[in-house]
Order: sequence, then C-alpha cells, then structure tokens
Amino acid sequence: MKRSAATPEAGGVGRSVFSALRPLGRTHLIPVAVMLILGAVALVLPLLLSGYWIRVFTTIFMFAALAQSVNVIAGFAGYADFGNILYFGLGAYVSGFAMQHGLPAPAAIALGSLFGATVALTIGRPILRLRGHYFAIATIGMLEGTRELVTNLDFLGGGSGLNLPIVDLPPREFSGLMYYLMLATAAAISITALLVRRSSLGLGLRAIKGDEQAATVMGINATRYKTAAWALAAAGSGLVGGVYGLWRGFIEPGVAFDAVTGTQYFMMMLLGGPGTIVGPILGAFGLGLLDVLVWGQWQSGHLAILGGLIMATVIFLPDGFVNVLRRRTLPRPRRWSR
Amino acid sequence: MSIQVLINGLLLGGIYSAVGVGFSLTWGVLNIINIAHGALVMLGAYSTYFLFARVGLDPFVSIPITAVILFVFGYAIQRLLINRVISSGVFMTLVFTFGLSLFIVDMALVLFSGDYRSVTTSYAGAGLVLWDAVISYQRAGAFVISIFAVFALQLYLDRTRMGRAIRATALNRDAARLVGVDVAHIYAVTFGLGAALAGVAGALLSTLVTVTPVMGNVFIGKSFVIATLGGLGTVQGALVGGLVLGIVESFGAGLLGSSYQQIIGFAILLVVLIVRPQGLLGKAFSAENQS
Repeated sequence: MKRSAATPEAGGVGRSVFSALRPLGRTHLIPVAVMLILGAVALVLPLLLSGYWIRVFTTIFMFAALAQSVNVIAGFAGYADFGNILYFGLGAYVSGFAMQHGLPAPAAIALGSLFGATVALTIGRPILRLRGHYFAIATIGMLEGTRELVTNLDFLGGGSGLNLPIVDLPPREFSGLMYYLMLATAAAISITALLVRRSSLGLGLRAIKGDEQAATVMGINATRYKTAAWALAAAGSGLVGGVYGLWRGFIEPGVAFDAVTGTQYFMMMLLGGPGTIVGPILGAFGLGLLDVLVWGQWQSGHLAILGGLIMATVIFLPDGFVNVLRRRTLPRPRRWSR
Repeated sequence: MSIQVLINGLLLGGIYSAVGVGFSLTWGVLNIINIAHGALVMLGAYSTYFLFARVGLDPFVSIPITAVILFVFGYAIQRLLINRVISSGVFMTLVFTFGLSLFIVDMALVLFSGDYRSVTTSYAGAGLVLWDAVISYQRAGAFVISIFAVFALQLYLDRTRMGRAIRATALNRDAARLVGVDVAHIYAVTFGLGAALAGVAGALLSTLVTVTPVMGNVFIGKSFVIATLGGLGTVQGALVGGLVLGIVESFGAGLLGSSYQQIIGFAILLVVLIVRPQGLLGKAFSAENQS
C-alpha cells in the first residue's frame, strides 16, 4: 500500500484507492480547520438568513461545486476544459427530461451525472489527444455546437426551454432544502476531489501536468488517467446541473450552456488556486460574493467590471490565491539549477 | 440556384478570411488565443459607423482610418497589459482576453447603447447580374478588399524587415532576442496588426449586417474554425479556412436550414481537430512549441 501511494503504476487507476484514505498530515491542519469551520457555519446559516441570502449562498455553493469539478481535469491534469459547462447543461437537460417523464428526482439527477460521464468517456480518447490551446478550443467547439443543437431540438423545448415538474413544498422549506442539497453536492464533489488527489490517480495526473511525455515514460497510461479525470469532472458538473434544474424548475439552452458562466467558475478555480482543494471553494466564495455586491451596485456595466476584475486577477494573481499564501508560509522547495 | 449559393458562400468566405487571419496571426506568433478578437471586429464596425454617420465618410474610404485606430488600440493593449501576463502561460492569457472581451463589449453597450445601427450607402441595393446569379456591388467590394488585406499581410510578413522579425519571433523567441529583435515591441506590433485586420473586417461587415455591441461574439467561434481549418498561424491557412467555411455554411444552410449554420462550423472544427490538427495545409510556423 505504501509503495503504490508513492509510485503510480501503469493501469493502476483504481488499485490504490485505499491509500487515499491515509490520515492527513500536519500541513493540512489549516485548510482542514478552515473547511470545518466554514462547513459548520454553512449548516446553521439558513436559520439566520433571509430568502434572498439563502438564494445567494445556494448559488455560491453551486459555483464551488462546479469550480471543484473542473479542477479535477484542469487543475490536477492541466487540461483547460474551457467548455466544461457542457456537462452542467447535459446533466440539467437529461435529468430534467427524465423527471418530466416520471422518474423520481434522485434517480433522474444521478442519470444526468452518469450521462455526462459517459459522454466524456466516449469522446475522451480522440479529444484528449489534443493539447494546450487545441484541447481548450475543442471543448469550446463541443459546447457551442451542443448549445445550438439543443436549441434546435423540439422534444427538449428548443430555444424556449424546458419546464420541470414542480416540487410540492412551501417556498421557504423548498429553498432551505435546495440550500442543503447544493451544500451537500459541493461537499461530496470536494471530498471526491480530495480522495482523487491523494490516490495514485491524482499522483499520475500531477505527473501528466508536469510533463506528459516524462509521465508516459515512467509507465503512466496517460490516456486512461486523463479520461478518468475528465469523466469525474463531467460527472461532477452533470450532478450540479441536475440539482440546478430541480432548484430552478426551468432550463433553457442559453443559460444551461452559457460560456460566460462556464468561464466564471473556471476563473474561480484559477483565482483560488488550481490543483488545490481549498482553492476553488475560496475562489467561488470570493468571486461569488464580489459578484453579488457589484451586481447590486451597478446594474449596467456589470460585465465590464467583471471583465476588469478578471484582467486584474490574471495580472496580479497568476498562480491563484492559495498558492500565493502557500509560497509565503512554506519554505520554497529547492529547485534544480537552471 | 446553386451558382448563387456558391457565389454567396465565396463572398462571405472572403470576409471570414479577413476575420480569421488576424486571429490566426496572434495565435501563431504570440501563442495567444484572442477571445477579444470578436470585440475588436465590433469596434471596427462602430468606427466605420461613426465616421459614416457623423463625418459622412464612405465605409470603403474610411477603412484605412479604422485600421490605424484599431492598430494603435491593439498595440497599446499588448504593450501595457498582455505583455505582463504572457509569461504566465497559455490559459492565463486565454482567460485574460476573455475578460478583455467582456470589458470591451459591455463598455460599448454603456457608451454606444444597444441600439441597432446600420451603414446604408446610396449603392446598397445595386448589383451585377451574371447569368442567373446576382452579385451585390457591396458584397463584391467587401470580398475584394478582404482578399487584398490578406495578401497585403502576406507581403508584409514576407518582404519587410519588421515582417521577418515577426516570423523569427514566432519560430524561436529566444533566438530572435539574441540577434537583437525587440520582442516586446514585436509582440505589440503583431497584436496591433491582428487588431487592425479585425477592424478592417468589422468595417466591411458594417455594410452588410446590423451594427450592435454584441455583433462580434459570433465571430469568436468562427475565428477558431477558420484558423484551425486551414492551418494555424499562416496567412494562406486563414484564407483557405475562411473560404471553405463560407462555402460550406452557405450550402449547409441551404440543405439543413439556417438555424443549423453554426453547428456545421463547429462540427467541421471538431472533425479537423481530431483527424488533422495541423490543418488542411499542413504544419506551419507557430509559437505553440515554445514553452
């Protein structure tokens, strides 16, 4: 077990899952404490807040869950899945369509998530051969093409959208339920990401991010590792999409497959710290709350401010917030002379 | 009928080439995917509109002015902003230009308002009848100028000192620096050229479509298709890519209905990326291989 945790082997994606469960080290003390406190606060928050703020926080949890999902392929493996919101939209539509046809909500949402993962597994082999910009562009192309396609499909409501069955609950209780459901989704995806990061799959992905050719030489089956990571990211985003559909009760192509929203949570992941677990969550809270404040202050020019913010982030925090903190607090690893 | 479709596709494809060539140049030389390219096309269209509506300049006459305005704008953006972040990697610059695009488009919405505007010349409806096909003078003029702009860029890159410096920087940035090329300046000039070409394309488009702040967004996706289709970073690649996309879209819209026009482009993009990522014309010079 010790050996497999240290050296990822060819085809060993699932073999050392248990090694991911080894206890966390001392360096994890601060992040774990932060997460536990945030989680405890999140649990009691609905008792104190108005309906508006419950909605705001549900949205932020949604973004945290999405940022964490895309983190698995973009942060861990270094493949910029710019069109990741494709799986959010697919999850929302598949689960929405299933609910419309009488499937109970939990099964429908699971189906949406599974569908996203299946799509990623199927197209993973040809698409993940592409690197750098080409991969990013292929994902954007898939997103845009799918949005146009769904807009033209009448059985999914076309451009006018899809109405989901209404959940029979009083509004206050319904929004509370959705709050906890989205919180649980974000927590589940984050814990999965943590386990992946600590497994041999996570190690392999880090090796691929560092130097894919070298990783292959070391015996890592890069295609299999990347496809697994992409499928996990797709399953996560698909899950969030299903929960979103249940929450809003209505989905339309322009929102479910919105490239701006997709870039927004990609930004949260980058801003917080790609490849870390705490980073995407902090990024979602930071940018999400900022977004609410800006949106409340300036109705017009809101996107210009968001754009300016994105540019400023890239200029001043190119490595992400968490990585800047880490560099300040931990001694720098010794580098080979160059 | 089919001759008319072919001609329409070809004329449209010419403008697509002009849109795509600037995008392809920025990508090939700087290794930047410029999401703001569509926003620059939009600025070119507004520049033409204001010169037409306020000053009374013909849209074809004001093209050089628009090109210069956009060149200066592009040069400044690269020199002051993007040069700072270009070393932090391809995704950061991609995200950066996305933010830039949001900023420009939303500022245009605030400053110019969302009103639909159009550049209507006195010769707008006139055209040449050839057999059973009609060629509008305006579309033909836009096509000729697009092709001219593309060839002018090719000549500039091939024949001038600055063009050689740009090609050298694309091939190997560090070696170019060693032989005395001012890389920061070259980067800014290249981005400026890309912006100027976007401006020319926007000026030509303003005579054909409605001018709005969001008019450029559709060209972001198309630019990907055009640049990837022909072969990244080459002028000929963008020319071929634009013409092919124009013709295929034109025929595809006739066969499947115009609502599927976008999907056709993205379907081609995916097939080309999977089957032939180096583009139809083969491997070209590009900054992709440099870290």
